[in-house]
Amino acid sequence: MTRLAGTLVIAALLAALPLATQSDFVLTILVFAFLQGMVAVSFNLVFGYAGQLSMFHAAAFGIAAYATHLFMQHLGVGYWGGVLLGATLVAAISVVVGAICFRFRLREFYFAVVTLAFSEMARLTVLNWNSMTNGSLGINLQEKATLWIPGMGVTRIESTVGWYYLALAALGLTLLACWRLVHSWMGRAFAAIRLNDELGDTLGINVFRYKLVAFVAGSVMAAFAGSLYAYFLGSLEPGYLSIDQSLGIIAMVLLGGRSAVAAPVVGALVLTALPHLINFSAEVRSMVYGAILIFTILVMPQGIYGTFAQLLRRRHA
Amino acid sequence: MLEVRALTKRFGGLTAVSEVSFAIAKGEIVGIFGPNGSGKTTLLNLIAGLARPSTGEIVWKGTDIAGWQAHEIAATGLVKTFQNPQLFSELTALEHLLIAGHLALKRRMGWRRLATLFGREQISVDERARAVLALCRLESAREARAAELSYGEEKMLGVAMGLMCDPELLLLDEPASGLGAEEIESLENVLRDLKREGMTLCVIDHKVGFLRKLADRAISLHHGAKIAEGTPEEVLSNPDVVTAYLGRAHAAI
Repeated sequence: MTRLAGTLVIAALLAALPLATQSDFVLTILVFAFLQGMVAVSFNLVFGYAGQLSMFHAAAFGIAAYATHLFMQHLGVGYWGGVLLGATLVAAISVVVGAICFRFRLREFYFAVVTLAFSEMARLTVLNWNSMTNGSLGINLQEKATLWIPGMGVTRIESTVGWYYLALAALGLTLLACWRLVHSWMGRAFAAIRLNDELGDTLGINVFRYKLVAFVAGSVMAAFAGSLYAYFLGSLEPGYLSIDQSLGIIAMVLLGGRSAVAAPVVGALVLTALPHLINFSAEVRSMVYGAILIFTILVMPQGIYGTFAQLLRRRHA
Repeated sequence: MLEVRALTKRFGGLTAVSEVSFAIAKGEIVGIFGPNGSGKTTLLNLIAGLARPSTGEIVWKGTDIAGWQAHEIAATGLVKTFQNPQLFSELTALEHLLIAGHLALKRRMGWRRLATLFGREQISVDERARAVLALCRLESAREARAAELSYGEEKMLGVAMGLMCDPELLLLDEPASGLGAEEIESLENVLRDLKREGMTLCVIDHKVGFLRKLADRAISLHHGAKIAEGTPEEVLSNPDVVTAYLGRAHAAI
């Protein structure tokens, strides 16, 4: 009950925030943090809960971003039509990639390497398919995201405040979906796969099926984040699918923590906000970034969220 | 109920299980004896789908299940426990049982269980878990994490997880190995309770001891082949079995 109350208070505070500050700077950082948070939370479903170190997550994010634009341009669908088709495409690709990896029982390091190879295939396709993707130059998105709002009809989302609420709602839905999954019988199957899949197998859990479900569900959530992110930023570039992105996602999860559904959001907030708050040169920034990550892994292996949760529990006990 | 016909498993040049045939009828407790390396565990792994037989048939309720995957076999009611306790390290005993309730839930709800993900229906395997904890004398360990359990509790939790699958035939791989006298007695009582409930059991035992009183029938393996079958007393007094266990010199004395 206290957890529900806490969640509602945080949600209410975040919803009320634009009343307190109209600062474009603050709201923009938060929109990026929320969308990155969505990616990190969905990655944690695959990695933290089902135990599969997918390097395909950034690819799912980037493929959906490009696909949304291409579907809108070539099929004449609206923004949300593009988003849904993009997510469907990512789901289909993830089923194929996941089925190949899990059918061959690739685990841990081998799974990571093979998903990375698939991710690179996607990135190189985007990079070289000039007629569709404009290669390394990327695409400036002319079309805008729209949303049907009661009383206002279909409205373009252009203000930062508008994006703030859209991103907040998207993050909220992602958290809710992951929370429901993790605390269900399916979440228990994910835990079995992560902790001892041979035992799970003898207990009648179809390891292949639930690994695939976790992988595809996580990728589809990342796809939604990618489609939103691209249209907030207003541009597409192959860097969306890069290994740097994948590593950034892992960093957010390690920093925030793996033990709770919302923990990676903390990592996303810190890593998104930090570069803007501290005005280091690029080289120094990378070093600070790396130092923080190493410090967290060594000193707070449960991440920021996990460490604080433990401190709170100890005080109550 | 279960009929194994000429089951053979070769690992390269080594024949771990050689042309073994036997049957298990409903409600029986069948003991499998044999010295270390006689192929007992491999035999059970073949039946449970953890290894693929080289040749032979495993007919379970009228269907040949040789070569099926472990989870498919478990879903038909044929469940195996491990000799060295296999657990989900960071979870509590109760959480282990809830995970093991997967099949029961699947059988009870089928695809309808997907609807529970959207919160329209609350489902619970808690009651069954509580009953199994009681049956296995694990109530006091309910909230204990796997790492905090004693070896005996770990092994019993393995049996409890098997029971959560609602098995018709439970294969127990050396449930008594490494246990103290009191723990073995407790295990005997659990197995007796199961027999009373009509459960069919196939139990491996390396030490010839506790199964003598419990098993209806025994089979003895040596070098992967069946060398004797009958009541436990018959099997244990069989000269070939004595030789296999003690070596020829002792047998002569």
